[in-house]
Parts: sequence; C-alpha cells; structure tokens
Amino acid sequence: MNHNLFGRGFSKYTPLLLLLPGFLLYVIIALGPSLATGVYSFTNATGIRGAPVEWVGFDNYREFLFQGAVSRDNIAATIRTLRFSFIVTTVQFVLGLFMAMLLNQKLRGKTLFRTLFFMPVILGVAIQGLMWQLFLLPRGGPVAQTLSWFGMRSEFLGGQPNEAFAWVIVVQIWANVGITMVIFLAGLQTIPDELYEAARIDGASGWGLFRNITWPLLTPSVNTNFLLNIIGSLQAWQLFLVLTGYKNGTQVLGYLVFAQGFGQTSGSVSSAFRQGFAAAASIVLFFLVLIIGMTAQYIVNRREKRIMG
Amino acid sequence: MSTITESNLKHTRSKGIARIDWVKVGSYLILLVFAAVYVGPLFMLVNTAFKTLPEFFRAPTALATGLNFQNFVDAWRLAKFPTYLVNSVIYTTVATFIYVVTTVFVAFPIARGYYKFGKYILLLYVIALFLPPALIPQFQLILNLGLYNTRIGYILLFLINPIGMIIIVNYIKTVPRELDESAAMDGCSYFRFILTIVLPLIKPAVATVTVLHAIGIWNELILPTIYLTNDALYPVTRGLIVFQGVYGSNWPALAAAVLILMIPMLILFMFLQRYIIAGLTEGAVKG
Amino acid sequence: MKKLNLIILFSTLVIASLLLAACGGGGTQTSPSATGTDAPRPVTLRVLVHQNPPMVEFMQAFNERFRAKYPNVTINMSVVNANDLSTVTQTRLTARDIDVIDIFGFSNAAQPYMRNVDPPNWQTLIEAGLLMDLTGQPFVSNYDEATINDAGSYNGKVYAINLGRVTYSGMFVNLELLEKVGVSVPTTWSELVAACEKIKAAGYSCMTAGGADGWPIFVGTYGLLGAMYPDQEALVEGLWTGTIKWNDAKTLELWKRFQYFATQMLEDGVTGLSHDAAPARFAAGDVAMMPTGNWQGPALEDAAPSFAWTYIPFPGSDNPADNQYLFGKYDQGWAIASDSPNQDVALNYLAMFSEPDNYQAFIDAVGFIPTQPTATLDSQLGRAVKPYLENFRVGYEQYWVSPKGAGQWANGSQGAAWFRPFNQWTDPVALANQAQADLQAGLDANR
Repeated sequence: MNHNLFGRGFSKYTPLLLLLPGFLLYVIIALGPSLATGVYSFTNATGIRGAPVEWVGFDNYREFLFQGAVSRDNIAATIRTLRFSFIVTTVQFVLGLFMAMLLNQKLRGKTLFRTLFFMPVILGVAIQGLMWQLFLLPRGGPVAQTLSWFGMRSEFLGGQPNEAFAWVIVVQIWANVGITMVIFLAGLQTIPDELYEAARIDGASGWGLFRNITWPLLTPSVNTNFLLNIIGSLQAWQLFLVLTGYKNGTQVLGYLVFAQGFGQTSGSVSSAFRQGFAAAASIVLFFLVLIIGMTAQYIVNRREKRIMG
Repeated sequence: MSTITESNLKHTRSKGIARIDWVKVGSYLILLVFAAVYVGPLFMLVNTAFKTLPEFFRAPTALATGLNFQNFVDAWRLAKFPTYLVNSVIYTTVATFIYVVTTVFVAFPIARGYYKFGKYILLLYVIALFLPPALIPQFQLILNLGLYNTRIGYILLFLINPIGMIIIVNYIKTVPRELDESAAMDGCSYFRFILTIVLPLIKPAVATVTVLHAIGIWNELILPTIYLTNDALYPVTRGLIVFQGVYGSNWPALAAAVLILMIPMLILFMFLQRYIIAGLTEGAVKG
Repeated sequence: MKKLNLIILFSTLVIASLLLAACGGGGTQTSPSATGTDAPRPVTLRVLVHQNPPMVEFMQAFNERFRAKYPNVTINMSVVNANDLSTVTQTRLTARDIDVIDIFGFSNAAQPYMRNVDPPNWQTLIEAGLLMDLTGQPFVSNYDEATINDAGSYNGKVYAINLGRVTYSGMFVNLELLEKVGVSVPTTWSELVAACEKIKAAGYSCMTAGGADGWPIFVGTYGLLGAMYPDQEALVEGLWTGTIKWNDAKTLELWKRFQYFATQMLEDGVTGLSHDAAPARFAAGDVAMMPTGNWQGPALEDAAPSFAWTYIPFPGSDNPADNQYLFGKYDQGWAIASDSPNQDVALNYLAMFSEPDNYQAFIDAVGFIPTQPTATLDSQLGRAVKPYLENFRVGYEQYWVSPKGAGQWANGSQGAAWFRPFNQWTDPVALANQAQADLQAGLDANR
C-alpha cells in the first residue's frame, strides 16, 4: 500500500530521490566499512600497508571463543557485560523517567537542574573520568568523607574488581541519565493537559493517571530510551579505560576487543596489531548486541502496536 | 511519580491560592540531592582548574587557595584555542547541519511507510547501532577517496548517526497524517512540505538530535589524530594533547582547557533546550 | 515472511560490500615536494613524535636550529599521545604522509621457542618494507653498540636509532627519614622487611606508589622479579619451555613477597593515588620509599622535597650481589619512512640530532639514561643511578609474549597487583597455581 500523497508521475518519486543522499552516505561511510570488518575477521590482517594478509578461516573466532584459558576470560567478560548492561539500563531508565517527571512540573529553577543533569553528556568520557577520580579519592575525597560518617569505607576504583565495577556502573549512569531524562521530558511535553483533565473528570487520579495516560502516551520516548540504554550500555567501555584501566576482573567485552586488537593490555609493551582478531572479537560483540537489541526491539514494537493500534 | 503530574495540574488550576505544596517541597528536596551528585564532581573540576600544578599534586582534593586564572591563560594559548576554535565550529556546524537535513529526508518516508522497503532501511539503521566501529576500513575508504587530511574528509566521518535517525522516525510517527493530506491538497511540494511544515513540528526531536550529534563532533578526540595531520585543520580537542604527557599530565591546565571547551556546547544546549522542552507545536498534537 | 526479511537484509549487505569494494582501488597519494635532488628546494619535513612535554619543548628548539642550518626546510611536527603512536604511525605510513617517525625500542620479538605468536608491530613494519635501512649511516655509530643491537636492529640491519633508556626496577629512598628512624639503606630483602617494620613502628609509611593507575604496582615489583631472576630473557624462555613454573618452589617465594609488598609495605590509600601524584606524595616526607621508574626523577625534583634522597635497585634478593642490577627498557627512537621523498633531508635531521652536543642537550631535557657513550645524565637522579649503569639489563616485560589462549593471570610478573587491596587474591599459593594453569592452557593450546 502506498501512502504517498505527493504528486503523480515523476514527482511521486521525489521523496525517494531526497531519501537517497542520506541513505547512500550511510551505506558508504558506515555500513560498508563495518561489513569490511566482518571480512577482516577471517584474516590475520594487521592494517599495515604492504604486510601480507592471509585468510585464516575461523581461527580468530576459535581463538576468541574456544582456545585455552582465554575463552574462559572472554566468556566471563561477556557475562559481566550483560550484568553491566542490565543494571545500567534498568536504573538509568527508571531514574531518567523519575527525573523527567520531577522536572516536568512548574518549578522555579528547573532549567538550571535540567542543564546540570545533562552536563556530563557535554563533557565526554575523559573528563567524566577525571572528575570522578577526584571525587572518589580514597584519601580525603568527598565521597570517602561522606561514607565515613556512616562508618563505611571503600577502596573505590583502585580496589577489588567487584567494588571498582560497581563504581563504574554509578559513573556510567550518572554520565548518561541526562540523555534519558531529556528524551522523556520531550515525550512528556507531547501529552496534552486536556487528557489529564478529562481523565480527572472521569475520576482517575495518581497511579491511574500515570498508568492510563502518561505511560501509554510516552511510548515513543520509552522505546527510544529502552533501546538506547541497552545498546549504549552493551557497547560502553571507555569509562573502564579511564577509571579502572585494564584490570583483571573488571573488563567488559568492548574493552577486551580494543585492548587485544590494539595491543594495549599493559601499557608500555609493544605488541602485535591484531586487526583480524580484533575484528572477530567485535563481530562476536556485534552478534551479542544484535540478539539482545533485536529482542528488545521486537518487544517494543509489539507493545507499540498494542498501544498505538 | 504520578502524583507529581497530578499536583502539576492541581497547581496550574489553583494559581494564587497560597498553601504549602508538599509534593513540590519533596520534589525540591530530591532534586537538591541529585544536584549535589552533579555539582560535586563539577566542583572538583573547577577547583582543579584554579590550582597550581604543585598545589594539585600535594593535595588534589583540597580547596584552591586562590583564584589562579593563569591556567586559563595557559590553556587558551598552549592549546591554540584561537586557531582551532574556528575549525571546530566549522566541523560541528557543517556536519550537524548536513546530518540533520539528510536524516529528516530519510526518516519521513520511512515513518510514513511510503515505500515497502522503508522498513528494511530502518532495520539497517537499527543494525548500525550494533555495528562495531570500523576504524581501519573507514580509514582506507577516506584515503582512497583522496580525502585524507582534508576538511571534507573529516566532515564526512560525522554524517552518520543511527541513533538520531531512530529518534526522528519515532517522532515523525507522532505527527498526525492529516497534516500531510492538507498540505498535499494545498498543492505544497514535498520539499517545501518537509522543510516548512514537518521540520518545525518535529523541533523537539531535531533539537535533541542536534545537541547529541554536535556534542559528539565537538568532543571527538581520536579521529582528528588519525585523519588530520595539518596543524591548520586541527579542531580544539587536538590541542588538549599539550597537557597530557606519558610520564605525567598537567591536570590543572587540562581542567581549565576543558572548562573553556565545554562552554559552547553548554550554551548550545541551554539555547536548544527551550525548543526541546517547548513541546510539539499546538496544532500538531491537538489539532 | 521472517525468511524473506533475512534474504532481503543479506542481499542489501552484499550490495553494500560490493560498493565498498568498488571504492577500495589502489589509489596513490602524491606527496608534496617530490621533485629535484640537488639544489636546495623548498621541502616540508613531516615529523611524528609522542607527547612528552620536556621532549616536545626540546624538539621545538631543535627544529629552529635545524631550520637555521637548512633554511629551505619547513618542519611539520605532529604530536600524538603515546597510546596512539603506533596507530598513527601505521595510518600515516599507509597514507605516505610521514618522513621521520618516533618509534619505541624494538622489543617483544618472537623467539624460536615461542610457538604460534604474532610478530610485534615494528617487525611487521620492517617486513612490509616501510622503514628505511639505516645501516652504515655515519650517525648510527654515535650510539653504543648494545643500543644499536638491542633496540634498533633486525636481521643484522639497522632500522632505528634509540635515544635513551629508562629503568623501572629501582626505588626512590628518603635518606633523611631512614636516618631519623635509625635504619640504613636496605641491601637485601630481609633488611628491607626489617626496615619497613621499624619505619611503620615509628609512625611513618614505608612505601607509596601510584596504585590508581594499576600498572605502577606491578612495575614497582619488577625489581623483586629481577633480583630473583637476574637473567630475564632466560626466565621468559623457562616459562615457555616449562623449565620454570610460576608455582615451583623458588617462584612461590616470589608470590609471597609480592603479597607482602602489596599488603604490608605499601601504605593505606595507594589504591587512589595516581602515578602523576606519587612524587608529590613521596616529597611530603613521611614515606620512606617509592618503588617506580627513574622517569619520576624530574617530577620529584619539581616537587622539591626538603630532604636528601637517592635511587637504588629494589633489594628483592637476600644475596646483595643479586641486587646490583637495574632493569628497564629502551624508550624513544627515530626511524625514517622507506618511501619518504625527503630521505636526504630526513637523514640530515637525524645526523644533526645525533651530534654529541645536541644529544647531550636532549638528555638534559628529558632525563633519559643516555645511549651515546659520550653523553652523561647530570642530575641528582643521574648521579644516583650511575654506579648501576654497568649493570643495566633489559627487563622481562620487553621479552614476554603471552601464548595465544593463555588466561588473564598468565603473566605472573604482574602478580603484585592481583592481591588485595588491588584485586581479589589473598592466597599466594592459590594465585601461583592459577597463574601456572593459565599459562599452561596457552602453551597446550599451541602444542
């Protein structure tokens, strides 16, 4: 069924014509090179001009998934990635919605709060890391001080893996909840006041208003945030680089790909460039994210169809 | 959560009646707690920017002893802000503009379901969200196009962002179809329809995407190192390297440079935030 | 319906990859100023260096001097972060956009006893023919033979000149504090243990290190490793061939000392101390020792400690004779792109840099241990390390290559950073067994 209402004959194709530049750019700049990464994953490519490149079949995948003890570490990193993603997605989603609803009221200074909560997004990972390293200093840092009032103590980022991991989760949510909040805010603004008024006349209140009006009408924002959070958290690893470094017991899959591909597992050592292997590892990550993301997308679409009709 | 919305309504209709709104008081309290978690790290950054290097290393968390503006002066000069700022502005505005316009033209037919394959195009963009970064193949592409170490080549790298596509498609779906029909009946051309009618209606989405995309370009650290080797083409972030050594970094100067760097994006956000929050145009939702 | 979706999706993918292939032709990049050879022609020399502030400052001054001598040359020097150096080297060589390259000392070469390991980056560059053969260039002989052989040669040809060594197996010692507490500078492990006890009993901290960055913890124990295994290349070979095991009796003692170091010697709170900030912490005066690299010397002098200090090899062995070595690595070096159109200018650049006066000025600026025999490191640190320079040895981590498939605990040299409070381990025997098992898994996978 064609819903295109614009013009007949040639001009019927205007939307298509105007769609092409954006789409072609996408294919050439993003999709093509990414697919080439897939091809790379079956080679021992180093990325160095003139160096021989050989097909190695599934060797890189075998090494990543099944060889020796490293597969154990890779699988552990995979599970850790999923755990990280689950916690970050859930908390960031709920917190973002909560903050958006707080700020959707008529409050003095809400612009200031909004800007403040969005600020980390503007900073980028390196600066977020610097700020939190200072904020979380075990000796005399503000958080250490606050914890000590309650008789608690933490080694923070330099400590044991579980502790360091937990703090990275905190920073990840802190850094990104601003986007979630803004998208929810934009969504909340599309809900007309009249709907609430009508519902109130019908006797609805509190939880009922939220369940029957806010939540269903927020669907586009909910979907966008749900997907963004899942994908963002599955691929996030730069904060680990900045906050904990390549520490055994905290690595997530994205960091593993980067470190093994560019030989940056331990600072000064000049190791091999293993672009082929890194490509294989990133394809594994890709499929993981794809499966989870597509499942999420499927759920979201079904929900959207149910609600929006 | 819902009580807040409710109180919001209550409040709008009870203007002028002076009484303590406990929901509001609670909201403020919660917001202040959140704010502390955001102000804290930011304060550490500002505090660092006002310290001398020895002062910082002696006691990184202690309060700066005075307002030492020297770091800002050093940062401005050493990181070559005056030269690089122009480049950053060019890259950010041009790439964001092209990106947003091309994206809206891809998004609209997909959101409206004009073409059967639209679904699959959207699927491709969704898949792109999951795709691994393709540093090496992308470099080969730009090199072979003869665009290595050029402005155009660098801008080309920032014309794609699947997240923005998905946000815009989702928002166009909330714009009622009746608008298309009335526009088509008025004999409005598709091109004009998108630019003069659709674009203003999806301002919230466009503003969000613009901010996110511009921030990404503005803060990019790795790509200028790889794609630009001519000093005249460097963006501001490339200048930050001055403060980072292998065996030690000048954190106070870096903090000062970062504070300068974040100001334009903060202004952009504060400016566009009005549009993001202004909500969809009256007629679009209610009409 | 689902199947059709997939088919359409895949065909789109195939088309996209074809599109890419069409773009991937062999485009050639023309370099600027590639004509003429004799008369002084205007030349732009493209130089790549990694960020190290004193070095960059020196290079800017040196470039001025070079331009004064060769007025037809413009120098375009790019500075990148050390972590990005290898990536940018690779991309700029690929784009034929570089003449003179900053390259770290050649290390981690694949040895005959290593099975199925990938060659290191520098070796791939040479084998791909991207680095110019510098053999026989007059300036090469300005550097000592060990440097030329160990840090810049491959298959009997010279591809890089290396500009300086750094050592990381020693520690800075606060002499005044030791005197105050009444202990002498330790020369053996048991003396060190006793000294720490005494220092702590007197209310001071024994050691500090930049624990927040992780690596300074295990780098701080490279001296412990070196004292136990003075021949570090043999240690690597032994681990690969199975004659040395991470959990044999001798090495088990090493793990116990790692743990003692991590839990008893280092002060509380080092988990949050960054590498940058460690010298200032040491300069505060209430910590007796700081095991770290000699590169912290200039930062320590900047922090202006009010006490007398020195730098000694980490006393890791109970035999004082084993504690006379300094282990370390070769740092920055120069190489020339083999297809640079400006090779003559690049050679002049290296030749002028290698002139003893210029080189000495470089050493004065960056504080490396010199690789030209005529140069001296004349700083407090230079004087401190001088007696041990005869005994400079290349460290373990410059030889070690993990077998593919080895687990994350296989490189036991990092063991000190795996105990609490830095990581999860509390039992040295269990960790030693884990390390050996992780290494063995890699060795077995490549049988």
